[in-house]
Amino acid sequence: MSLTGRTVLITGATGFIGGRLAERLALEHGAHVRALVRNVAAASRLVRFPVTVIRGDVTHPGDLATAAQGCDFVFHCAYGTSGSQKHRAWINTEGTRRLLEAARNAKAKRAVCLSTLMVYGQTGDGDLDETAPRRRFGNPYSDSKLEAERLALDFSRSGALPVAVIQPTAVYGPWGGVWTEAVLRSLKAGRQILINGGDGMANPVYVDDLVSAMLLAAVKDEAVGEAFLICGEEAITWREMFGRFEKMLGDERRTVDMTPAEALDYWRGWKKEQPRLIGEGLRILKGEREIRERVQNTREGIWLRELASTILPESMQQKIKTRMAGGGRPPAPRSRELPIHPLPPKMIGFFQAKTRVRIDKAKRLLGYQPAFDFAMGMDLTERWARWANLL
Amino acid sequence: MAPIRAAAAQIGATVDPIGANAAQLRANAAPIGANAALSSGEGADRSVITAERTGGSGNMPAATGKAPDPEHRHMEDNERKLRLAVVGCGAVAAIHHLPALSLSQSAEAVVLVDADPGRARDLAARFGVPETATDIKSLPGRVDAAIVALPNSLHAPVSIDLLRQGIHVLVEKPMALNVPECDAMIAAAEAGRAVLAVGLEFRFFDSSLFVRNLLRDGLLGKIQRFEMHQGVIPRWPFATDFLLKKETAGGGVLADFGVHVLDLLLWWLGDWTDLEYRDDAQGGIESDCELLLALRSGDTGTVTGTVEISRTRNLANTCLFEGERASLEVGIWDPDPAIRLLLADREVALDGRARRTEGSGVDFLEAFVRQIDDFTAAIREGREPHVPGREGRRSQALIEECYARRQPLELPWSVVPGGRT
Repeated sequence: MSLTGRTVLITGATGFIGGRLAERLALEHGAHVRALVRNVAAASRLVRFPVTVIRGDVTHPGDLATAAQGCDFVFHCAYGTSGSQKHRAWINTEGTRRLLEAARNAKAKRAVCLSTLMVYGQTGDGDLDETAPRRRFGNPYSDSKLEAERLALDFSRSGALPVAVIQPTAVYGPWGGVWTEAVLRSLKAGRQILINGGDGMANPVYVDDLVSAMLLAAVKDEAVGEAFLICGEEAITWREMFGRFEKMLGDERRTVDMTPAEALDYWRGWKKEQPRLIGEGLRILKGEREIRERVQNTREGIWLRELASTILPESMQQKIKTRMAGGGRPPAPRSRELPIHPLPPKMIGFFQAKTRVRIDKAKRLLGYQPAFDFAMGMDLTERWARWANLL
Repeated sequence: MAPIRAAAAQIGATVDPIGANAAQLRANAAPIGANAALSSGEGADRSVITAERTGGSGNMPAATGKAPDPEHRHMEDNERKLRLAVVGCGAVAAIHHLPALSLSQSAEAVVLVDADPGRARDLAARFGVPETATDIKSLPGRVDAAIVALPNSLHAPVSIDLLRQGIHVLVEKPMALNVPECDAMIAAAEAGRAVLAVGLEFRFFDSSLFVRNLLRDGLLGKIQRFEMHQGVIPRWPFATDFLLKKETAGGGVLADFGVHVLDLLLWWLGDWTDLEYRDDAQGGIESDCELLLALRSGDTGTVTGTVEISRTRNLANTCLFEGERASLEVGIWDPDPAIRLLLADREVALDGRARRTEGSGVDFLEAFVRQIDDFTAAIREGREPHVPGREGRRSQALIEECYARRQPLELPWSVVPGGRT
């Protein structure tokens, strides 16, 4: 099978991976690319290429039917990026289901769905391949992607539509979000904790290698009904990964080493320091006399004061009055050092794991071979980041 | 040379108490036949280092106060507001034109036109506009003027239709898709004896006028080079996808954002004499482009500079002019930007903002109010608007020439050692 001259629908084509996929399908393969686009403002990069934009939503069956009509291939890269976590999870699962139904109705030859390494849950040390059990990681993104992946493979098994699933690891490269731009922004604003000196495995993959794997998954017969882990070739630690981004930003140290226990302590301490709504509200009232008086004179404020004067002992009433009227603690002196970004417990485990993602299955069945080593991929990423005014 | 941002002095700290009353003066001025523009400007002209407006063509007309006194918003019968149609009820109508019209003392929207009647009715309800229509056929006789805020490809045909029937037109930028369309619009305005103004509202920022006057008066000495970086990742709530297609948008970022900054450059310095142009389109429309531009400067000379425009990157959004005597850096894409003046071979710079009246900078809403007030003043006084069709045509001609001379823009990460791209 070939993609040349074929009509291809891409969801998520305004994004990092879908955008590069659209570009290569249009320029390298001469495919007729259709993109289902929800947000016109985000499509600037996409419309540099000869693509047909269809305005619509990946959960809207009517939009999907229009977009899928006459398509030979469907690439599903869209996922929930706005709204509540629950809504995003719904987009991940329901969007996948509805898109695949539309692709089946349009008699598409194949769909390639973008999944994630996270469907294996918290992974342990050592090799990981596609035979590992799928597990919930415990956040709505990962867990909904797991459900979407199951749904996609069921679609394929039932004979409704041939589907291949791609499970990328940490994808980086030009226009990258989570593992590129967000890392740079985070390192600019504060220091990254490296668990155990950052000796956990990062498993990075350059975006072009991932796109190559997706293109192979669309045309190789062996891909149907299968899921493929896609990663770069080398074993790269988090120290190397963050270290490379750190270097882009100059000489300043932007990482800090901690053991898992130290990182957990730091997280707990940080959580304790975060102002609570009521406490922060009281602090604001303390500082603003006029606002304090206005709040005190609301119906609820009067009621609370009366209640306090009947049930609290005199000494405590005095104490509250003094504390409300007096100044708060002096603000902590501002440190010149960059703050340390706390790591939630789940992420401590994530960064600690020395998981080595195997790509043997993709090599064997798809003929996948990463073309970008870490040095080259990061060099190109740095060039982009400088151009994009991020450094 | 180590420029130090030590001097945070405000350029244009206003000392004139009359300036604050500009809004009232403006509101009191008899709009028909009276020079409303000058009446509001008197105070502003006396402010320190502020943008002055001493006659001459091309200067910016009236400032309006930001918060007009409601008592002065009632007009006499013979000073009735101009009746306007807003044709095209997309995002720019909803975000800028209609809010500005509801503040304007010189004009009011009486009918909203959109092919999508629901969209027109929604906006009419939100902004208290009495009528809606789905096409422009019913406009003659009902309105004095129209704001045309349609997809770019409809600017020329709809404006021409209205102008020929004597309806004055303020057309959104870019004025049209190409120069022949611009010419046809200008001819239609002449034939219909109607005012044609182009919606390049950046010209109504105080900073734009300040830079223009400073350059015109040669305060920086001979300009040796300029450098402009304009880049914003848009978050505009587009009502349609016209901007994604060459046929309906006329081009990519150059036609969309570029028209604003190129219009400013041409206004600030002078017409172009030579150019090189590169962009990143590969079978679609560009999101990033670069110009090497030679402009007329002074009476005889030319000055060369670079312009970078992007809708995929957030850039510095500044324009730097290096002159013999001093350098000036002004923020662009911002109605009230920082302006920085650095004397040649001096360490200390002056940092501040352009001010016309005390304390208040211009925001986008105010710029759109000024644009409407200028448009209506031009109609009432039978004068040219601040940005006439001829000026809109000028930046359009430059854009067209860029596309004609287009070369590919090399993206630094798509060149891979070993030859793969």
